Amino acid sequence: MWLFALPALLINACIILVPALLTFAAAFVLWDGIGTPAWAGLANFRNLFDDPVFWSALSNNFIWTAIFLTVPIIIALVMAAALLMLPNARIVVQSIIFLPRIIAVAVTGRVFQGMIFSPATGIIGWLNAHGFSLADPLADPDRSLYAVAAVDIWHWWGFLAVVFLSAMRQISIDQIDAARLDGAGFFALFRYVLLPGIRPTLTLMLILTVIWSFQVFEFIFIVTRGGPAYGSEVLATLAYRHAFFEGDVGQAAAAACVMSLFGLCATAAYLWLQRNDGREAA
Amino acid sequence: MTLTRRQVVAAIPAAALTAGLARSAHAEDARKVVTFWFAQANSDGQAALRNDLVEAFNASQDKYLLQLEVKGAAVNNLLKVALVAGNGPDIVQTAGPAYLTAIANAGQVLPLDDLAETYKWKQRFLPALLNTSVYGGKLYALPRDYESMHLFYNKELFKQHGWKPPTNRAEIEAIADDALAKGIIPFGAGNADWKGVNEWLMTVFFNNVAGPDNVRKALSGELPWTAPPFVEAVELSKAWFNKGYFGKNYFSLTIEQSFLQVVNGKAAMALSGTWSFGTKSYGMSKPDTVMDVMAVPTLGSAFTGSLVHLACGATLSIAKTSENADGAAAVFEFMLTRKFYEAMNRDWPGKWALPVKDLPPEMLSGIGYPLFEKTIAELHDAFSKGRYGFTTWTFWPGATDSYLIEGIEQVWLNKITPDAYLARMQTLFAQEAKDGKVPPLPPRAA
Repeated sequence: MWLFALPALLINACIILVPALLTFAAAFVLWDGIGTPAWAGLANFRNLFDDPVFWSALSNNFIWTAIFLTVPIIIALVMAAALLMLPNARIVVQSIIFLPRIIAVAVTGRVFQGMIFSPATGIIGWLNAHGFSLADPLADPDRSLYAVAAVDIWHWWGFLAVVFLSAMRQISIDQIDAARLDGAGFFALFRYVLLPGIRPTLTLMLILTVIWSFQVFEFIFIVTRGGPAYGSEVLATLAYRHAFFEGDVGQAAAAACVMSLFGLCATAAYLWLQRNDGREAA
Repeated sequence: MTLTRRQVVAAIPAAALTAGLARSAHAEDARKVVTFWFAQANSDGQAALRNDLVEAFNASQDKYLLQLEVKGAAVNNLLKVALVAGNGPDIVQTAGPAYLTAIANAGQVLPLDDLAETYKWKQRFLPALLNTSVYGGKLYALPRDYESMHLFYNKELFKQHGWKPPTNRAEIEAIADDALAKGIIPFGAGNADWKGVNEWLMTVFFNNVAGPDNVRKALSGELPWTAPPFVEAVELSKAWFNKGYFGKNYFSLTIEQSFLQVVNGKAAMALSGTWSFGTKSYGMSKPDTVMDVMAVPTLGSAFTGSLVHLACGATLSIAKTSENADGAAAVFEFMLTRKFYEAMNRDWPGKWALPVKDLPPEMLSGIGYPLFEKTIAELHDAFSKGRYGFTTWTFWPGATDSYLIEGIEQVWLNKITPDAYLARMQTLFAQEAKDGKVPPLPPRAA
């Protein structure tokens, strides 16, 4: 059994465990990424917690998590249930909604930035030229995070819908037919049959959403770089800035440790739920 | 002919041996390879690098073979990792003294003093630029170019509205206000693709409001960044931003889009750097260009007239682990030839203006780009005579510079006060100065 898992464990140890331990160690040193590291104790964490940008970045991560635990999940669940009811439309609609997922993040980001939000070359610019008065949300520190989240949701929800649809298709057709015979409408079927039927998948996706939300980086870095005025800064962009613009690897590692903490909590919650499910099943 | 698996397996050692022999024979004949990683280059730049540097250098001698790779914007991060791992290129190019400081302090590049003695580099480079790469009395790099912030303006638009090139803050604000009243954007500006635009503007405000002497004092630790001249500089930047001098779409437009607003007459002026000469879409090399350029006038009472700003856009060093330091030095020597200077500045203006002491006028006139030639001649004169301000990307240490760029947006968008911004900058600067991270300041007079 252990021998069977050994290759995967070795790969994981090399590419995940070792870098993770090194990052953890780096959080306790002063290091510019090229010189000799010097022991700093908890100074990196103290400096991080004293920085108001850290707290705004952390709260942005929470806002991001809240958005992604609700908006794309709800859209995807409704779409998956609708597709379950409409088998003829399934292939075409699935292909269309999955398409954003296979477009490179950089391309999606640039398309939204230049062709939609830009007041010079985007749809917003065209609308402004035709009598509307719209501002680029990416240029507003109070809206930029939501604007980038909208881009990521566009990219993400179709994938979720396909995952949920696959899970829903595992539900016994007899169960669905029985509910219908009992007079259940779309929402009753959704609430009492489909949602309980995909609960393990839904739980997994919710937990993964929490983990990924605290790691979010690409879209924000590509579209706003955390700005303007730190309006869309999250922990990952903050860590990147510390490491590569400020040459402060220790501080970056401290920020990365905080990110990982939330990921660990989510993973622990998932393992706990799995264990409970196992006990219930037994 | 069909080979069995066994025959293929048996043939592998023989093939490997043959290949090895061929390779070693070739290696004996081969020239020594000199590797060089370049950061970003547009298609014109890549063509210029290929033709004017790589092919021209390789054709000029038979001892070394220059291999250049364009690595993109992440080259600074790649370089650090590669140098620590001992796998960096022979020629280490950084994005200026602020980046070189950590690499030189870590001893990852060779001191160039012996080579400088051999090739007389100290006598051939402008001291103002060369001294930005001296740490602990040792020279660690050669400056690849000089840059400065300038005021670019649409001379046709100026003529049309009766505006004269401004000589002080009152005149520049009068033009800006008149432009706003007429629906023209005073300054074409945008940072959607490069947040560093913030520091281009702040370089102008710090130097042209507070004056270069105060900036020098602050960089030397003799004056805190919270002093009144810097408060005035930040407040002026905020006032201009809030009055709409930089347009409504500063955070949405790219550098090119915003500069083209000036070229197209939608904006009157642009505060941009000498690298703007290298973008062909601006059309500034054409004889009928609508654009003109001048040094940025004073924006305060610290000095009169105008000011250029000393910047070194890139430094060139030799990696500590290089096995071919002589080859790298030969490439540097080639860069100092008149043929290379003319060809590179003709094909990619503004990117490789080597700060050599001896810059005869005919060397510039051969380029065929009057605005660029005029500007470089003025820069050369100002840098030679020690009349310059200090650019943030050359003289501010990393964390302070990063905060200067990011934090100023909070000021402009009324999230924090100028005093709070400068207080945080002072805290970061004091710590970096204590850690020896502030790049060296050149002597005031050359």
